[in-house]
Amino acid sequence: MEIYILQGIWVTLQYTLVAFLGGSIIGTTLAFLKYNHKAVWLINAYISFMRGTPLLVQLTLVYFVLPSLLGVSISVFVAGAIAFSVNSSAYIAEIIRAGLNNVDRGQFEASQALGISKFHMWKDIIFPQALRTIMPALINEAITLVKETALISTLGEQDIMRRAQLVSAEQYTYLQPLLTAAASYYLLTFLLEQMSKFYDYHRKPL
Amino acid sequence: MITIENLCKKFDNQIILHNIHLEIKQSEVVGLIGSSGSGKTTLLRCIHGLETNEGLIQRRGRTGFIFQQFHLFPHMNVLDNIIYAPIKTLKQSKAKAIATAQALLVRMGLWEKHLCTPQQLSGGQKQRVAIIRALAMDPSILLLDEPTSALDPMLVQEVITLVHELKNEGLTIIIASHDHVFLKQVATRIIFLENGKLLST
Repeated sequence: MEIYILQGIWVTLQYTLVAFLGGSIIGTTLAFLKYNHKAVWLINAYISFMRGTPLLVQLTLVYFVLPSLLGVSISVFVAGAIAFSVNSSAYIAEIIRAGLNNVDRGQFEASQALGISKFHMWKDIIFPQALRTIMPALINEAITLVKETALISTLGEQDIMRRAQLVSAEQYTYLQPLLTAAASYYLLTFLLEQMSKFYDYHRKPL
Repeated sequence: MITIENLCKKFDNQIILHNIHLEIKQSEVVGLIGSSGSGKTTLLRCIHGLETNEGLIQRRGRTGFIFQQFHLFPHMNVLDNIIYAPIKTLKQSKAKAIATAQALLVRMGLWEKHLCTPQQLSGGQKQRVAIIRALAMDPSILLLDEPTSALDPMLVQEVITLVHELKNEGLTIIIASHDHVFLKQVATRIIFLENGKLLST
């Protein structure tokens, strides 16, 4: 039965990866826009709403309300991918913006003085420097996501949490299945934590 | 090499540069002197095109700018700092950019540092890398902002020697500084700037 629960690790991991990727893409875009003073009011409202309402509410909204609005049916996986991405994008946007604020203005000027195009400046000069300072915070966000994906169990997805609940119901015992679930989540977050420490240790100071 | 007519620059209605007229010939080394806040840096930035301004600035060839704080790219090693812009902006081949960078690094005695990051360099070395980074873009005009402010006296002599060498190679050089002694040794002409106005040439 433990094997059955452990198999949920892959499911949880899939949600985490997709959400982190989606959140990073949306979050980077928002941070970039906000840094350049574009649509600041709108982005602030978005971030405030996403951080100020429960993820469970957002998830159920996406799964039960979005399909009727769009007139399409969406799978649990797509609903999870959208809700988790959109939610984490708010946090990631603020992390990346802090990183951008940390990059010395002189770096923009040096790029401009050398005639480097805007695209190359952001891609090769500014973002890499911002990323170095915010890497630990980004990994932190990934750790949060691992744990928050447990909410997908409420929609019936057989992730670690759901599997533990099913086993508990079948065997009339909670201790062992839930401990197995906790250990599975901890395995994932522990690995991420170690990545963060490894990165911090090997990071050269700027 | 450079013609400036009626140059004016304002920041929020505050006049930084007022009606600047200036003619600079090839191989001149122009020392721009003035107290802090007189507009030296702003004038250099206008010449390089880093600032919008009113008036006319004509320059023949590319300009290279060396910042007071150097602004090297801290996440790149010395060689990558130098070859990045020639490859991306001038579309040079990597081999050509490296060959140019190597020649300049060897000349300035910094080749053994080409894999170091900027934070592993001393102030004087950083400055030389900044100069090489500008020279790698093959400029005909070089603009230096307070080149001696971060250097101890021993190194100032090196800068003087280098400026003389570059002048003899045909570069036109403008140096903003408040160091009279340094400018007298290095410049062929000294210009005084006070409250955004040129006093004499």
